[in-house]
Amino acid sequence: MWHGIIGWLPGWERLAQSLLILAVPLGLTRMMLWFRAEEGKASTRGQRGEGQKGGGVPSSEDTGEAVQSSIAASNKNPSVNGARGGGRDAEPPLRYCGRLQEDVASFRAVSSDMSDVNVRYLQIGKPRIPAVLFFVDGLTDKEGMDINILKPLMNAVLAFDGEAAVPPPEELKMIITQRILQVSEIEYTDEIMASLKKVLFGSAVLLVEGMPEVIVLGTSKGNTRSVEEPISEALLRGPRVGFNETLSDNTALLRRHGQHTGMVMHSYTVGNRIEKEMMLAYIKGIANEELIEEIIRRIRTINIDDVQESGFIEQLLEDNYLSPFQQIQSTERPDRVMAALLEGRAAILLDGTPFALIMPVTFGMLLQSPEDYYDRWFSGSLLRILRFVAATISLFAPALYISFLSFHPGLIPTKLAISIISSRQGVPFPTLVEALIMEVAIEILREAGLRLPKPIGPAMGIVGGLIIGQAAVEAGIVSPILVIVVALTAISSFSVPMYSAGITLRLLRFAAMFFAAMFGLYGIVLFFLLLSSHLINLKSFGVPYLSMITPYRMSDLRDFIIRIPLQLMKRRPTMLQPEDKIRKR
Amino acid sequence: MAGKIPDRITTSQAVFILVNYILVASVFTLPRTAAEKAGTPDIWISVICGGVLSVLPAFLIACMCRKFPGETFFQFAPKMIGKPLALATGTLFCLYFLCYAAFELRSVQEITVFFLLEGTPNWAVAALFIWVALYLCRGGINALSRMCRLITPLAWTIFFGVCLLSLKIFDISNLRPVLGEGLAPVFRGMSVLPLSYTAGEALLFLVAFMDKPKQAGRVAVLGTLITIPFYVTSAVLTIGAFSVEGTVTRTWPFIDLIRSFEVALLFERFESLLLAIWTMQIFSTFCIALYGAALGISQMSNLKLNHCLFAVLPLVYLLTECPPGINSVFAFGHFIGDWAVLMFGGLSLPLLLLSAFRRKKT
Repeated sequence: MWHGIIGWLPGWERLAQSLLILAVPLGLTRMMLWFRAEEGKASTRGQRGEGQKGGGVPSSEDTGEAVQSSIAASNKNPSVNGARGGGRDAEPPLRYCGRLQEDVASFRAVSSDMSDVNVRYLQIGKPRIPAVLFFVDGLTDKEGMDINILKPLMNAVLAFDGEAAVPPPEELKMIITQRILQVSEIEYTDEIMASLKKVLFGSAVLLVEGMPEVIVLGTSKGNTRSVEEPISEALLRGPRVGFNETLSDNTALLRRHGQHTGMVMHSYTVGNRIEKEMMLAYIKGIANEELIEEIIRRIRTINIDDVQESGFIEQLLEDNYLSPFQQIQSTERPDRVMAALLEGRAAILLDGTPFALIMPVTFGMLLQSPEDYYDRWFSGSLLRILRFVAATISLFAPALYISFLSFHPGLIPTKLAISIISSRQGVPFPTLVEALIMEVAIEILREAGLRLPKPIGPAMGIVGGLIIGQAAVEAGIVSPILVIVVALTAISSFSVPMYSAGITLRLLRFAAMFFAAMFGLYGIVLFFLLLSSHLINLKSFGVPYLSMITPYRMSDLRDFIIRIPLQLMKRRPTMLQPEDKIRKR
Repeated sequence: MAGKIPDRITTSQAVFILVNYILVASVFTLPRTAAEKAGTPDIWISVICGGVLSVLPAFLIACMCRKFPGETFFQFAPKMIGKPLALATGTLFCLYFLCYAAFELRSVQEITVFFLLEGTPNWAVAALFIWVALYLCRGGINALSRMCRLITPLAWTIFFGVCLLSLKIFDISNLRPVLGEGLAPVFRGMSVLPLSYTAGEALLFLVAFMDKPKQAGRVAVLGTLITIPFYVTSAVLTIGAFSVEGTVTRTWPFIDLIRSFEVALLFERFESLLLAIWTMQIFSTFCIALYGAALGISQMSNLKLNHCLFAVLPLVYLLTECPPGINSVFAFGHFIGDWAVLMFGGLSLPLLLLSAFRRKKT
């Protein structure tokens, strides 16, 4: 009896193993907590923005300089909002005093080391009021300035008809803006730094004798690229239009999509040292208000001295920076942005980059292309299934090769096993090393192909791939089957419509290979479970990442692997909890 | 954290969880254990009857739980049977969940080491499994339901697909004579079923998470009934292929069944697919049981759920490695089955009556 019980008791070895089983995840969790704590100290991600709700004017909390101006877009009666343009200066901002000579001098003082700021002295019309125009060569639309500003100002005779002497400043301002200047975009400011900032971004600033406020004239015209087909997301069918580097062009592209009054565009200024304009776009009545509030809150926590590209914003806004998966999608296509907006998502456009951000992202989006909707549903569904298969192959093919060859050759058909093993006979490495050599080689080739000049890039890739593959087989370093596997994997990973999702798959492929090398098929299954667990726990702006595959409502499955006919797609995806759930009746 | 229900699941999600919880490793062994007891090919009748019978305790437990919407058994038991008794029952339940999880893990370990990974140390196989399970369980009940939802279509398709292919070696004469020795072997065969069909215990905490607790009874009935075809298929096909004598001599008769035919499709042999899928299926069962144990401990002791999840890991591992050999593993499984009958079959009716009685009094 006792013997039987003792036989069941675990030994010391087991106890030690059980402690190990406890210790490893504990250690990992501790490390993650520490990571997060460190990141929390360094970033402002967790802070609650203290500005007003609803995309208004006020700025982010601490430095008080990220002035969120909403120019032109929302204000009918424009004025520089809360122009605390002093930027980093803590002392009260320099103001204009109204005496032209002093004002010009102080403006020259602050712009003393900017020799590209030009000055044009002039006299306004009949009363011969002295005035000065500041502008930057190259940024300002000179022709427009000559015709619409200089000419009317100098020729202003009729406007001053009833006036005997120089009118008082308020009246003068009225006359100049309302009767003389032929410019649509006008703002006023009395701060020198704010006006300088405008001048440096392409506006012209008009100083008039006796007026303590200066007039900022929107005449900017930078060099822009015309609208071209996006390079990273080419489609066979669909609009050949991509975003470019100018924010106003990009918002215009969205507006041009169709006549609609519900699209909201909130403007924000991001960057502490170098300010940039950013637009948050969504459709009122579709997008969930809570989602928008959360996005705005996160936008307010952005605290960085310069936002170089929308990738910066993506990384500063995303939920989980330790996840290999994108929680915000970047795209160059306006139609993709519009489709997302109509599903109840939101988009962020940044000045200076053609990449717009779409959020929140769910897993299905990584494998969808706008073409699925433009083509008929058969072809759309087929292509989607193909992409899923391709993604699976690109994730698991080398891992399966490793596990079958090194652990269970008995599980593949006998003839195939024999032919693989006989072709592998001269190979001196274990399968993992063999697969790693080839995978790393192909990744290097791919990366090199990107950097090469356009005409020789593809040629180089083909030659490199062919020669390396052929030579490696002949030299007996790898087996020919592996070359097939690796080539298939590489091609499959190109079929993922989102380039960055393809990179994620590449990264995970290596992880899968190591799992397979240690635990064979069992390792692959557990890797799949681990990946699923991660995706299940991952959220993008509160929306579960896997909500397409494991939906709360079955109707969301209609647009996942199979793209059902459009006339049956009556509801928007419920996972986003849109305000208006019905797409059409 | 303890005492607060973090998130909700719908009725259909609850059914998915329950089905995944019931479907376990015993699909592989059920034909053998039942055939050993019964000795006739009639075990498929036992499997059906056992399944239908096991609906009853599950339903009773569901009825009991829905009287306390939003509360798990560990929370409402003190109100019902007093604190000391509730603590004792709760501990027993937690221990049961742990043993159940451990048994499932041990089955995976035995199968994996036997069929897939000869020479890999047992503890490494178990450790990987436990760690991934922990990672999933930290996401709470919603993560579990999503995982079940993800696994289900894969597992069911492959299971029935493989079963269809195995019809190649199916011989109906092995299933004859039906009821050749009367009903007695059928009843004897039913004695091994509790391990496969225990469902009620998951409801003890599952109902608390449902957004419509009124439908708990439906979940119990549907969840149990859906699993019957799996066990019946496994029993019928195995006996049909190997006959009773052949089945009794195999450790994992169902896997042997899948191994014993070759079809000239992509794979030629399908046990790798089946093992992969069934590992996932057992993973979901393991996670649910682990989560149940941790939830019970956390709610009884007012500790954080996450801490409890960590605390149960070494316990599960030790229990997993307790049985010294494969035969003791099956003995362990049998013991758990008996335990389940005693606890959930025996306790459910008195508890239900008690809950009804208490309710009237207040």
